[in-house]
Amino acid sequence: MGTTTIPDSAEPRLAEGVRLQTDPVTGKSVLLYPEGIVELNETAHEILARCDGRTLAEIVHALAEEYDAEIDALAADARDTLSDLQRRKLVELG
Amino acid sequence: MTAPRPYALLAEITYRCPLHCPYCSNPVVVLNRTLEGEAPATPGRVGSREFAPPYRNAELTTNEWKRVIREAAALGVLQIGFSGGEPLARRDLGELIRAAREANLYTNLITSGIGFHHDRVRGLRDAGLDSIQLSFQSDESSLADEIAGARAHECKLEVAAKIREARIPLSLNFVIHRRNIERLPQMIALTEALGAERVELANVQFYGWAFRNRAALLPTREQVDRARDIATAAKARLAGKIDIFYVLPDYYETRPKPCLNGWGQRYLTVNAVGDVLPCPTASSAIPHMRFENIRTRDLDWIWRESESFNRFRGTEWMPEPCRSCPQREIDFGGCRCQAALLTGHSANTDPVCELSPNRARVDAILHDINSSGDRARDWIYRINPSHWLVVSPQRPKASRSGSVRR
Repeated sequence: MGTTTIPDSAEPRLAEGVRLQTDPVTGKSVLLYPEGIVELNETAHEILARCDGRTLAEIVHALAEEYDAEIDALAADARDTLSDLQRRKLVELG
Repeated sequence: MTAPRPYALLAEITYRCPLHCPYCSNPVVVLNRTLEGEAPATPGRVGSREFAPPYRNAELTTNEWKRVIREAAALGVLQIGFSGGEPLARRDLGELIRAAREANLYTNLITSGIGFHHDRVRGLRDAGLDSIQLSFQSDESSLADEIAGARAHECKLEVAAKIREARIPLSLNFVIHRRNIERLPQMIALTEALGAERVELANVQFYGWAFRNRAALLPTREQVDRARDIATAAKARLAGKIDIFYVLPDYYETRPKPCLNGWGQRYLTVNAVGDVLPCPTASSAIPHMRFENIRTRDLDWIWRESESFNRFRGTEWMPEPCRSCPQREIDFGGCRCQAALLTGHSANTDPVCELSPNRARVDAILHDINSSGDRARDWIYRINPSHWLVVSPQRPKASRSGSVRR
């Protein structure tokens, strides 16, 4: 599983029962799931906030435009983050 | 010392339960707060008279729980687990879940599933329930029902299907002990068959009723070794499909569990009668400790200021060998309740630790189980607070009384 690359056409979304919300104490983004909490870094937050039916390519494109960032580096970051969350069953790839 | 922020609240909203599992961690005695003041709800006499506690009236009301939920969220709590007893026994459960969602909490229901009718599953989902943990006693009726002390297994199977139908994430929980540990492969197969996302295979921990029934529940070393291998193999086989959490049988370990990630650090429990506890078993395991009640103090003060929450916070309270131990920030000296139950002092090092001067007590318990040829010992089934038969002089026949089980 770990070595396969997520395709551009994948539509990542939060897994069933996983909620993305802001921790009112720290102001940071967290994922809440059955009996667990993950604090997200900024990259993860920006990606997950855009997992609304868009494809990976669309998400990366939107981020690159918004942050004026280099698209290949951004795509690699996004893939790393999503596959990590997928391994933890917090994200599903449609 | 400065209090950290808590992440999760365990709301034990009732101690009533239709099951009678002998490993229940609920206290064997519950303090009743009645109009007449405090009285222990054990059967028999209190002072000079027999006492009939109206136990149900001692449970927190809907509005009191709503206040607890709001105060917990304000403290920083992000997750709430509704537990018991059997939380479905309270008709206001949906209202409490709704209140928790309004406070932005992630809501878990920890249930036996008994009484979970189709409409109610959907009702709780619509109220905002995020996930359900359903308990099983074994993988098939005859043993499972014997352990539960009730006909429950078939009903649980139906409930699991209803939960999946309502698309609520489902975790299963099996408490493992000497009588069912051989069924581990079948329990894992049942988890797969029911389409659960997650399963806890939790070796029994000895508190409450389980502590009382330890001689009947503690598995042998041979059983424990085999179970560990089976769980490890299943974990690898089902990786990415089902999350398997295998809770170690701590008496067989050489270092203690990092209980609660430290006392008063991340978790708090409010029990059915409103006592606020650093750990759900603390009120029964550490009887001399005074716990605050939500009816007389707000949650913020109890979490930050109360003596009970500060008693074992951090590392200052630790005796040797914990005080100078490099592991002290890893296992926090283990479990305070276990120290109290096995050594008589809650501040001692958890006697599971091989460095504890009291480790011999745990070894003696293990020796007894592993050397005894005849291990079939009876257990005492858990009984409900409302079944603690008490007779008041005013009411010669206690209203709910009579039904001493079987």
